[in-house]
Amino acid sequence: MSDVAILTEGLTKQYGSMAAVEDLDLTVERDEIYGFLGPNGAGKSTTIGILMDYIRPTDGRVRVLGRNPRTDVVDVHDRLGILPDRYSLYDGLTARRHLEFIIDTKRAGDSPETLLDRVGLEDAVDQSVATFSQGMEQRLALAMALVGEPELLVLDEPFTGLDPHGVRTVREIVHEENERGAAVFFSSHVLGQVELVCDRIGILHEGRLVAEGSIEELRTETGVGPDGTVEEIFVSVTGGHAPVEEITEVDR
Amino acid sequence: MRWSPLARKEARTVATSKGVWLLAILLVLWGYRPSYVGWDGLGANITAGYIQVAGTVLLPLGVLLLSYQSIVGERTSGSVKFVLGLPLTRTDVLLGKVVGRTAGIAGPVSVAFLVIAGIGLVDHGLFDPLLFLGIVFVTLLYVGVLVSMAVSISAVVSRTVTAAGAVFAGVFLPLVLFWTRISTTVFTQMTGIPVNPFEPPASGPLFFLLRLSPAGAYHVVSNWVLGVGNSANMYSHVLTKLQPQTSTNAYVVEATFPPGTAPVYLHEAVGFLVLLAWLVVPLGLARYHFTRGDAV
Repeated sequence: MSDVAILTEGLTKQYGSMAAVEDLDLTVERDEIYGFLGPNGAGKSTTIGILMDYIRPTDGRVRVLGRNPRTDVVDVHDRLGILPDRYSLYDGLTARRHLEFIIDTKRAGDSPETLLDRVGLEDAVDQSVATFSQGMEQRLALAMALVGEPELLVLDEPFTGLDPHGVRTVREIVHEENERGAAVFFSSHVLGQVELVCDRIGILHEGRLVAEGSIEELRTETGVGPDGTVEEIFVSVTGGHAPVEEITEVDR
Repeated sequence: MRWSPLARKEARTVATSKGVWLLAILLVLWGYRPSYVGWDGLGANITAGYIQVAGTVLLPLGVLLLSYQSIVGERTSGSVKFVLGLPLTRTDVLLGKVVGRTAGIAGPVSVAFLVIAGIGLVDHGLFDPLLFLGIVFVTLLYVGVLVSMAVSISAVVSRTVTAAGAVFAGVFLPLVLFWTRISTTVFTQMTGIPVNPFEPPASGPLFFLLRLSPAGAYHVVSNWVLGVGNSANMYSHVLTKLQPQTSTNAYVVEATFPPGTAPVYLHEAVGFLVLLAWLVVPLGLARYHFTRGDAV
């Protein structure tokens, strides 16, 4: 079990009578790049929120890096890096201060300059983030996730607000981090990028995992053909052509 | 401490905000209030009395306003996801917020007190520096109490406007501004004994009730340090009350209880315990709530 970066069993999160995530079984290996896909409102951010202990599940079991993200939050967060979705930076602080805050709390040895260089913000080290564009904010947030050489990177919609250069930067960093030995778990609804990045994908629909596997496997399972795109797989499993129940059976 | 970087960031954010320096300027203007009764009672130490005046209405209001957004603001903006993504427990986050914000406010507020000390030195001559430091210490403790209460509220509500309403209608109005009226009304309701503020009954429970609010306890302890008398009212009020042939609506133990008859629990040291309770109890309740359930 300690070989697994993320494990959920029967994970459920209810908001009133509505289930944002339902009976989710998920396994992310320690050496893989896992793309967590799904339409808006499918429950991706809720799942990541539970993995991060931002929110608490109604039912089910969660392990992150072999530990309970709730009771072992200090240890787990020491070993992972998070790029959250719908965050906001601290307007009064510079990029350097943001990174120092993370570095000091994690007691990591990183240099803010090096990290900002990696995400292409080397010219904005001492600039207040109040002046940042959305793309620059996203690059800084990614740099914050990289602090402390995490064993697991959790990236929630990492391509948000990025221009094509930024998208490429994210892709390169994901591969670099994976080669260094980190597992990468990212959510996205930008499907074109997913093929270029992921070893394996899982597709979440209405709180349930409706498909999981490598893109090759999913092409076969969904019958979209050898040239089928992730988009075609996605549409086919999220109710574009086939009823969801049928697909669920195929996948399990 | 794991939360020290959070506290440092918090302190820097507050100390570099315009609001806290505006508060510092207003504290000087508000606190500097020479009076004959103060001068007669305290001499040059009236300068230390100014600190208590500054700490009486304006300081609580300012501190509450500077603190109520601390957690709920981050929750609504989304920046809390970075804080909660760090290797910190939610309790660490609460502690870092309270300590950092207290330090960030205490710095500029201490500068304001230094300015008051300078003005007092010029106007009234040399005061007892230890007594002055004592008042400053008690006042900064009071700042910590108010920050702790505001952060506690901020941790348990889900909207900024709710937090603003709660610190104003739940803390400032009842516990700072109207506590005397509330406690005398409650006392009369429960005992049937009418309370004439100019000639209050020598009732231990009434006097105890008056000093149960953080503001009342702050006055009790700071009056103790000033040596003006045992009361939850402002020092100048206490001095007036204790002058022969004057009548004022202050509740002063020495003026109401014959010597040696005041209950032990009206000792000034109990005021210190009351302040500590306000520091710890709301935060403990907030921690109970904040560590359970969803944080975003």
